[in-house]
Amino acid sequence: MDAEIYLDNNSFIHRLDPRTKIITFLLTFVAILLFQDPVWMIPVAVLILLQLAVSGSFKNLRRIRYILIVLTVSSMILWNFFSSGETPLFWVFEVESFYYSIARTALMILMISTGMILISTTRNEELVLGMIRLGLPYRVGFAISTSLRLVPTIASSTMTISQAQRSRGLDLDSGNLVDRIKKFLPLLVPVFISTIRNTNIFAMALESKGFGAREDRTFYLNLKMQKADYYVLAFAIIFTVASIVFAILGYGKISGLTSF
Amino acid sequence: MTESIVSIKDLQYRYRGQKEYALDGINLEMPRGEFLVIMGPSEAGKSTLAATINGLIPHFFKGKYVGEVSVMGRNAKENSVAEMAEVVGMVFQDFEAQLFSTNVELEVAFGPENFAVEREEIGRRIKENLEYVGLTAFGHRPPSTLSGGQKQKLAIASVLALKPQVLVMDEPTTDLDPISKMGVFEITHRLCKRDDLTLMIFEHETEEALFADRVAFIHDGKLVKIGPTREMLCQVEMMEEMGVMPLGIPRFFKMMGAAELPLTPEEGVKAFQASGWKVDEAAYQKTVSAENADLAKRDKPVIQCRDLEFSYNPEVQALNGISLEICEGEMVAIVGQNGSGKTTLAKHFNGLLMPTSGAVTVDGLPTIDQGVFKLGQRVGYVFQNPDHQIFSETVFDEVAFSPRLRKMSEKEVKQCVTEALKAVDLVGFEEEDPFALTKSGRQRVAVASVLAAKPDVLILDEPTTGLDYAEQRSMMNMVRRLNENGSTIIFVTHHMWVVAEYAKRVFVMKGGKVILRGSTREVFSHGDELAEAFLRPPHFVEFSNRLGHTFLTPDEMSDYIEGVQE
Repeated sequence: MDAEIYLDNNSFIHRLDPRTKIITFLLTFVAILLFQDPVWMIPVAVLILLQLAVSGSFKNLRRIRYILIVLTVSSMILWNFFSSGETPLFWVFEVESFYYSIARTALMILMISTGMILISTTRNEELVLGMIRLGLPYRVGFAISTSLRLVPTIASSTMTISQAQRSRGLDLDSGNLVDRIKKFLPLLVPVFISTIRNTNIFAMALESKGFGAREDRTFYLNLKMQKADYYVLAFAIIFTVASIVFAILGYGKISGLTSF
Repeated sequence: MTESIVSIKDLQYRYRGQKEYALDGINLEMPRGEFLVIMGPSEAGKSTLAATINGLIPHFFKGKYVGEVSVMGRNAKENSVAEMAEVVGMVFQDFEAQLFSTNVELEVAFGPENFAVEREEIGRRIKENLEYVGLTAFGHRPPSTLSGGQKQKLAIASVLALKPQVLVMDEPTTDLDPISKMGVFEITHRLCKRDDLTLMIFEHETEEALFADRVAFIHDGKLVKIGPTREMLCQVEMMEEMGVMPLGIPRFFKMMGAAELPLTPEEGVKAFQASGWKVDEAAYQKTVSAENADLAKRDKPVIQCRDLEFSYNPEVQALNGISLEICEGEMVAIVGQNGSGKTTLAKHFNGLLMPTSGAVTVDGLPTIDQGVFKLGQRVGYVFQNPDHQIFSETVFDEVAFSPRLRKMSEKEVKQCVTEALKAVDLVGFEEEDPFALTKSGRQRVAVASVLAAKPDVLILDEPTTGLDYAEQRSMMNMVRRLNENGSTIIFVTHHMWVVAEYAKRVFVMKGGKVILRGSTREVFSHGDELAEAFLRPPHFVEFSNRLGHTFLTPDEMSDYIEGVQE
C-alpha cells in the first residue's frame, strides 16, 4: 500500500529550497485571503494550478477527491446561510451571497491545494530543516513534521482495519447517517489503539537514537538558495504586495454583501 | 575480558499500576565483545529487561525501580535515554514504527545528527553502515518501499551509525520470513565477531541462538539459567517446560537415548551415521502412500481459483495466474516470502479482494457474485493482528459482533458466542475486557469472533506470529481440533515448524505464483525449490532430508528407527 504523500518527481518545484517553498506557501495564504470577489481570485488560482501541474501534485489531490467534493458542495450551500445580499436568487440564495460562496469555496480548495503542493514536493526532513533555518525551534519543527508523517500511517492502518471488520460482516455502505456513524465505531477504536501503540514505539525509537541529547544538532541535509529561489521569492513578494495594495484600494469586494 | 561492559545488579522493576514485579532480582555481567542470547516465553520480562539497558526503563516507562544497571560505567537511571544512546544501540521488534525518515540515508543520519556529528563524518558513517548491511543501492529509496527484512537491516544500520559499544535487539526477527531472518542473523554473526561490540539479543527462535557465546533463560522476571550455548541448548526438557522451543535435533537424539546431543543438521547426520541406526524403509513407504491416499479422498472442492490474476495498481502484478483447488475438510498452509502474494491470495477467498482477471469460486459460485458480506458466513478470515479488530468492552460483545450484525436473536447470539468461546478455550472470560488479555488471549478472541459466524472455512493470517512456543502450540492445537471437527482450514504463515507439524498440504508462493504444491512431506523434501522461494525447512526436517527421508517431527521419526541397542 503506497501511502506516502511526498512525490519523488524531481520537478522544478521539488528542487527549490524548502525555505522558498514555506515562505511562498505563507504568502499564497495571504493572497488568497484578501478578496471577496471570485474574479479577483483568478490570478492566484491560475498560479496555484500552474504549480500543481508542474509538480505533478494533482495525483495527491485526486486521492482526497471525495473529501474535496464533499467540502465543495457543503461550502457552496452553507456560505449562503452565513451571508446575505440584495438581489434574491432563490431560497436562501442571493446573487451576492452566491458569488461569495464561490469565493469562499475557492479559498478553501486553494488553501488545501497550496498545502498539498508544499508537502508533495518537500521531504519531511527538508521541511523541518527549512522551518528551523527560518527560526523555529527544532522540537517544534519536528513535531509539525511528525504529525504530517502520521497521516499515511493512519490511512494505511484504517485500510487494514476496515477490511478486518468487513470480513466480520460489517457493512459500511448502507443505512442512514446516524447508522453509518455508529458503524464507524468498530473502526475507530482499533485505529486509535494501533496509532497510540505505533506512536509509543516511535517515541522510544527516537529517544534510543539520542533525540535531544545535545543542545545543538547538525543536519546532514545541506540547504542552499539558488538563483531560481530568489526569482521565485521576488515574484511571490511582488505578487502579494500588489494584491494587498489592490485590496486596500477597495478592489475585489462584493457590493451589497453582508457576511457574518 | 575481565572488565564488565554491561553490569546489572539486583534489578527489580514493577510497572506502575501492576502488582507483580516484571523483573525480580536480575544479576548479569557481560564482558566486552560477548554475544548473549536471552530466551524466554511471553510475559517473562524479555522486553522489560531490554528496555532497562538503555534507560527506557525507568525514564520512559514509570514504575518502581530497585537495583542498578550500568553500561560502560554509565548508570541507566541517572543518565537520560538520549545520553545512554551514545553507548547502547537498541533495535526493536516492530520494524515499521521504528523508522521515520523519508529516505534510507537520512534514516541513518538521524542518530549522528543528534550528537552534532560533522556533516562529512555523517556521510562516511552512512556509506560505511549501509555497505555493512547491504543496502547501499537503496540509499535514496523511502524506507516504506523496502521489504520487512530490509527495514530491519536499515534499523540496525541506523543504530550502528551511532557507534555504540553495546547493541540490544528485542526480538528483531519475530515478524520476518525465514530468509529475511537469516539475512538479519547473518549481520549479527558478523557483528559478534567484532570484539569491540557487545551484543545482546532477546529471542524466542532457538535455531538462531546457536552462534551465541552464552544463552540465558528468563522466566517470571528471573534469570533462571545462564551458561555456554551448547550446554544450555541441550537442556531439552527444561526448555520445553519453560515454553521455549527446543531444537528438533537434540530432542530426537534425546528421545533415542543418546548420551551426546548434536545440535546442528551437520552434527546430527554424523551422529546418526555413527550410531548404526536405520530408517525402516517399508514402514516409511507405507506411511507416504497412506498420506497420499488420504489427500486423494478429499475431492469436494470448496474454493477454486482459475487463472487468477490481481494487481493493486497497473505497475505491479500481485498475483500472476493462480489455479488451485481447496477441498472440504483440508488443512492447508500457504507459505512464501513477505510480498510473495500469500495474503493477497487469501483475501480473494472471502471476497475482500476481487480478481482483476480469472475467477475465484466458493461452492461453485464466483466470489464476485456473492460479495464479502454473504461470503463471510461461509468463509471466516482472522487477520494477523488481533488489535486490528478488537473494539468492544467485553469479550462477549466482541464475539457477538458478527452474529448480531447478521440479525440473529439474542438467544442464538448467546449460543454462538458460547460455542465459539468453548472452541478457543476462553469459557469464563465473557465479562473480561479484551484489551486486558495477553496477545495470545486477544488472538483467541479474534478467532472466536470469526468462529461465531459459524463459517465452514476458516482462513488464518499468521496465527502464530508474536506468540511464544507454548502459545503457538496451543493455538495450533486448537486450530487442528477445529479441522478435526469438520472445518476447512487455510493458514498463512512464516513459521516453518508450524507448517511441518500441522499442515496436511502446502502451497509455496513466489512472485505471485504458486511454485510448489503437494503434501507437506513432499513439499519439505524439495529443499532447493524452497530455498528458491526464500524459505527453509526447519533444522530437523533438513537433517532427515539429508538422511534420505523426510520426517516432519522428532516424535514421528523415532517410530521408524531400527537397530537401536536397548
